[in-house]
Amino acid sequence: MEAFVASKVDDYRAGRITRRQLIETLTVAAATAYTAPGATAAPALPGLKVALVNHISYTCPNFKQAADWYSKMFNLEQVGATQNDVVLPFGQKGERPFGVTANDVPMTHLIIRTRDLNARPQNGGPPRRQPKALVNHVAYTIADWDQNRVRAELARMGYRNPEVDTPYSFHVVDVNGYDVQISGIAMTALNVGG
Amino acid sequence: MEDFIAGLVAQLDSGAMDRRQFCETVALAAMVYAAGEEAANAAPAQGFKPIAINHISYACGDYRKARDFYSSLLGMAPAPNADNGRETRLMFGPPAGQGGSFLIPRNGSIVPRAKAVVDHICYTIPNWNENEVVATLKAHGLEPTGRPGSLHVYDPFDYDVQIANAVEENAFRR
Repeated sequence: MEAFVASKVDDYRAGRITRRQLIETLTVAAATAYTAPGATAAPALPGLKVALVNHISYTCPNFKQAADWYSKMFNLEQVGATQNDVVLPFGQKGERPFGVTANDVPMTHLIIRTRDLNARPQNGGPPRRQPKALVNHVAYTIADWDQNRVRAELARMGYRNPEVDTPYSFHVVDVNGYDVQISGIAMTALNVGG
Repeated sequence: MEDFIAGLVAQLDSGAMDRRQFCETVALAAMVYAAGEEAANAAPAQGFKPIAINHISYACGDYRKARDFYSSLLGMAPAPNADNGRETRLMFGPPAGQGGSFLIPRNGSIVPRAKAVVDHICYTIPNWNENEVVATLKAHGLEPTGRPGSLHVYDPFDYDVQIANAVEENAFRR
């Protein structure tokens, strides 16, 4: 797509097409480029092929407090609560995840827990290894990104000076001081930020 | 869409936007358009509506080991020109700009600054075939634990990685 746009810009600047033709051509191309069957099919890769994040396991001292923070910030319902954890799905039961067409890819969800990560497993297995890596933040894509609207909503929720990452995202910290990034769909691996 | 592109052409003509910015913006607009205006305009009255994990920032001592692990085992695709010698971006799921996600393996501190920790991440593998999944994990030198349809392995930094199918791991399973 980008190469096609570049070629049309060259045509326009060289006088080969008019401004009106440039606009019409790009309008049609933009509206159809990614909707043709197979246009987005990824090539087969060796090994496994991840379709989506299934869930993020978040462990903290008080899971109820954290779950309430995420419910409020992201309008997430809490389901399947136990004494130690609760699940926060990104939608209703039966909904298909955004952008996914396969039937066997469930909705992404958070599992917010309170537990001792150093405890021996109840099944008698070996203790959990101590990771030498850290997921230092998670970014969430939200619907209807508008920088001013998001800034205003964050201010209403008490975040008056959220860290600006790119035009498409802000950072805040949750109730446990964990870095949470709130992003628009235009923030992708193909542009900047993170 | 036409009004939007006309506005961009005006910026291009006036010099407010260079050729590269113009091309990137139109290409991105096409992706967002394809993603569907309905979902992209579904903001709630208060708070936000998450539609996907945008990205996961993963700090470790050598991002290259993580990069190689996640790309070779889980099929995450390196983003073009993203590798700067300190970090990179690996794409997975729907296409970029249409709900796709990415992992950022990066060199960085692993000392937690928060009272919370993301202790593992579970990834969905579609078209799950237990024998093939286990064989693939073992071919990579891993020893999966867990139960059929929901397996755990450790990455090169002993970070807990879970892979699962839709039956064994979904939000409404309990």
